[in-house]
Amino acid sequence: MSLLNQTGSVIAMNVRSIPQRLWMSLATVGSIALVVAVLLGFLALANGFNQTLKGSGAPDVAIALRDGSAAELNSTISREQIDLLGQGPGVRAGPDGRPLISAELVLIVDGIKKSTATKANMPLRGIGPNGLLVRPQAKISQGRMFTPGSNEIVVGAGLLREFSGFELGKTLRFGAQTWKVVGVFEAPGTVFESELWADAPVIQSLFKRGSTFQTARVGLTSPAAMPAFVKYVKDEQRLQLKAQSEQTYFADQAERSGLLIKYFGWPLGIIMAIGALAGALNTMYASVSSRAAEIATLRVIGFSGFSAFVGTMVEALVLSALGALVGVAICAMGFNGLSASTLGAGFTQVAFRLQVGPDIITQAVTLALTIGLIGGIFPGLRASRQRPLLALAA
Amino acid sequence: MSALIQLKNVKKTYRRGKESITIFDGLNLTIEQGDFVAIMGPSGSGKTTLLNLLGGTDRSDSGEINFDGERIDGYNEGQLAGWRARSVGFIFQFYNLMPVLNAAQNVELPLMLTKLSAGKRRANVETALKIVGLWDRAKHKPKELSGGQQQRVAIARAIVSDPKFLLCDEPTGDLDRNTANDILGTLQQLNQDLGKTIVMVTHDPEAARFAKRTLHLDKGVFAEVTQ
Amino acid sequence: MTDFDLVWKNLFRKPLRTILLTVSIFMAFLIFGILTSLNVALDRASESGSASNRLVVSNKINFTQSMPYAYINRVAAIPGVTAVTYQNWFGAYYQDQRTSRFVGFAVDPETYMAIFRDEARLTDAERQAFLTERNGVIVGKSLADRYGWKVGQTIPISSNIYSQANGRRSWDMKISGIFTGAKPTDPTTAIYFHYDYMNETITFNRDQVGTITVVTASPDQNDQVAKAIDANFANSPAETSTVDEKTFSRAFLKQAGDLNFIVTMVVSAAFAAILMIVSTTLVSAMRERTKEIGVMKTLGFSSPRVLRMVLGEAVLLSSLGAVLGLGTSAFILTGLSKSPVGSNFGDLSMSPVVALTGLALAVSLGLVTGAIPALSALRMSIIEALNRG
Repeated sequence: MSLLNQTGSVIAMNVRSIPQRLWMSLATVGSIALVVAVLLGFLALANGFNQTLKGSGAPDVAIALRDGSAAELNSTISREQIDLLGQGPGVRAGPDGRPLISAELVLIVDGIKKSTATKANMPLRGIGPNGLLVRPQAKISQGRMFTPGSNEIVVGAGLLREFSGFELGKTLRFGAQTWKVVGVFEAPGTVFESELWADAPVIQSLFKRGSTFQTARVGLTSPAAMPAFVKYVKDEQRLQLKAQSEQTYFADQAERSGLLIKYFGWPLGIIMAIGALAGALNTMYASVSSRAAEIATLRVIGFSGFSAFVGTMVEALVLSALGALVGVAICAMGFNGLSASTLGAGFTQVAFRLQVGPDIITQAVTLALTIGLIGGIFPGLRASRQRPLLALAA
Repeated sequence: MSALIQLKNVKKTYRRGKESITIFDGLNLTIEQGDFVAIMGPSGSGKTTLLNLLGGTDRSDSGEINFDGERIDGYNEGQLAGWRARSVGFIFQFYNLMPVLNAAQNVELPLMLTKLSAGKRRANVETALKIVGLWDRAKHKPKELSGGQQQRVAIARAIVSDPKFLLCDEPTGDLDRNTANDILGTLQQLNQDLGKTIVMVTHDPEAARFAKRTLHLDKGVFAEVTQ
Repeated sequence: MTDFDLVWKNLFRKPLRTILLTVSIFMAFLIFGILTSLNVALDRASESGSASNRLVVSNKINFTQSMPYAYINRVAAIPGVTAVTYQNWFGAYYQDQRTSRFVGFAVDPETYMAIFRDEARLTDAERQAFLTERNGVIVGKSLADRYGWKVGQTIPISSNIYSQANGRRSWDMKISGIFTGAKPTDPTTAIYFHYDYMNETITFNRDQVGTITVVTASPDQNDQVAKAIDANFANSPAETSTVDEKTFSRAFLKQAGDLNFIVTMVVSAAFAAILMIVSTTLVSAMRERTKEIGVMKTLGFSSPRVLRMVLGEAVLLSSLGAVLGLGTSAFILTGLSKSPVGSNFGDLSMSPVVALTGLALAVSLGLVTGAIPALSALRMSIIEALNRG
């Protein structure tokens, strides 16, 4: 029998013998499934958060903050600076013929986080008439946009999912003023969905901000116009601002925040994996020893040690592959799309969804198969060293 | 000599599902103190059941089982366990030593059921191993001993708490002729020199010759053959 | 030889198997020890230094909104209030905004040091210096160690919120003292400097305060005083929300997410995994010993005694792994608490509660994984065990 045939037969025998050690094999599958589920859960958290941040930036929108400010809250921009921005190269014209700029400011107000029932920081953003236009991903899904000059608010769909108190039609009180929620807007997969929007001038007057803003979002004619615009802002002495593409702005944030979850998830996954590996090794050693007589007989017949090795390896890989399958299924069905929220870079809550994607699935499955590989190598070596014997001593 | 073991009108039936097999239907047996009895019989004769009844590891459906004036047929599991610890020494066909313990520790096992001090235990273990001639192998594990040596350790274990009688189940079934004779010789010594009562179940007529008398059991009934 | 000796020897019947099982159990308890301690530390961090009779007054909209300076005297006048101080968040960092941010508050030195005397421990000389030096700053010991700051040294502290009229983003401050916390493990990663020094030079948001700390006559007056304060400023442009210090800190820490939930889920997953692995292995291991158990019973060992030995073996196994795992996590935690990130959490060492809970879990794990083999050993009939039935 050729080596390939031998190996194939032994593999088949190994796999078919799994039910003889049903419970221990199931334990191996189950523990590997749990490792995959936990790791994938963390990676999905990080992935979802990252994707939300990255998905928020448009390549043809430039965001300008005060030079040196890392966050919107710490930035100030004056009316005059807004006008100057509008004179930059590549700035698109809005429907009213004027430069497409949304001058904005953010305040933090309190909301109640549904999952912990404690207070959380919500961003209340004052936007200009061009607010929706510089955010192509956003649109009103229920109710209507607020009327300029009024105490009306529209709330993001993501915010509604994670926090209580901002439902459509509700009257809110911030400070001494009452506000009414007149609409819900959707901007799936972006941080904008975690915000409350109102008319910027109303916010400025009620919260005594005079006529200053914090950021300006400038729509450009195309992504290619970005470098020229950024340079313009840098060189213009009267501005003291820094402009960058919205994509870069959010990508930076994503990089800084995602790291934390990754530093947590992978170490945890590896520790659990070692525990599962010990279990897998146990199961495979038990498999080899319980089939010692069978292997010895095969060797007498003429099967090679190599086939015994491969047979054991494949048995281990099959178990770990099953475990990976179950783990991924648990995650895909249980966690995928689950809503979550955490503190973002702007010191306010960002609502996002856990996202299980192909590349993180690959990572988790690789871990599972590695467990199977190592769990099969050493017992496999022992199997291959089994001497050909007609009868084993008791 | 007084009767050590007495079975009176013992009945035992096994039920398996709808089938019931009657092993004994009024068995009587008397074994005197100091006796060395071999019990032989074909498979299905009931000798295994008899073994279990004598050893207190099975209970009769009815009848009396007297042991040195003590009636053990009514005992529950816990009482039987205690009785076994005090009264019986077991010797099995396949030795049944614990692989994780060495010879001395195996022999010590029955003493864990007594209240003897550690010092006393050590002394008893030494005595028992010396009787079977294996004191120099005290620290060896069963896998380091031959079949005959393992059986002798088992014998030492059986006598270490000085039980009144020894119950042997095919003690030489797994040994070659020479070793078997050695073992049987040791049993004879225990019987003659130390006065131990021995009941030995065997299928080997050569082994039965070492006993003082042989009982044939067939379909739950005795026929005696004196030597 | 005692029963324990027998149990111990049986445990190492197949040394490799026992070692592998111990590794699995070790990992689970390592996870338990570290995660649970982190969770407890976060909870404790919200309570460190909280006196039961202190309240925090902040703007009702959100604590990042400020309140007028005039509020301070009005709050002081409320019955039940025995002392008042205030703080302004500065957005402080030292040289590099990305890597060296820390807690920094502009305070009124006299009232601040009086109320937080215990939480920011200084020598009398340092206290005096801080009072008199207008650009004085007191820094926490952790920060001083991290940057090599010494008393008397002048350092530039920058703000990512404010800038001076001359455009500078940093303020030169002279270190008046280095403070330690009430307990050696309390976090000391903060700085406090003069409100006046900041207020006179910032370009916007002048004469505002971020939060006001109130000391009440006694804890049972907390509720009443809080309500009185908030009532005082109701319907004004800056309404207030007053809560006790513990609640305030806790809400702040909970913003990151429901850590409790995550920790529970992960620890449960880890234990579920080892439960599966250990129980199935023990069942399979016990099956090898059917005959031996039969022999033990034949020799006269009572069924309950055999049960105890089997259970004892399982409990011993899980305890071994647990003690190693808990011990190692305690070791790692001590290391973590010395690191820059960890020092923010304060006391990261393993609390006795966590250790005891871990041990209790170990015993329970042993009992559960040993249950099936133990019960079958208990009920095993000698005849079946010896296989001559």
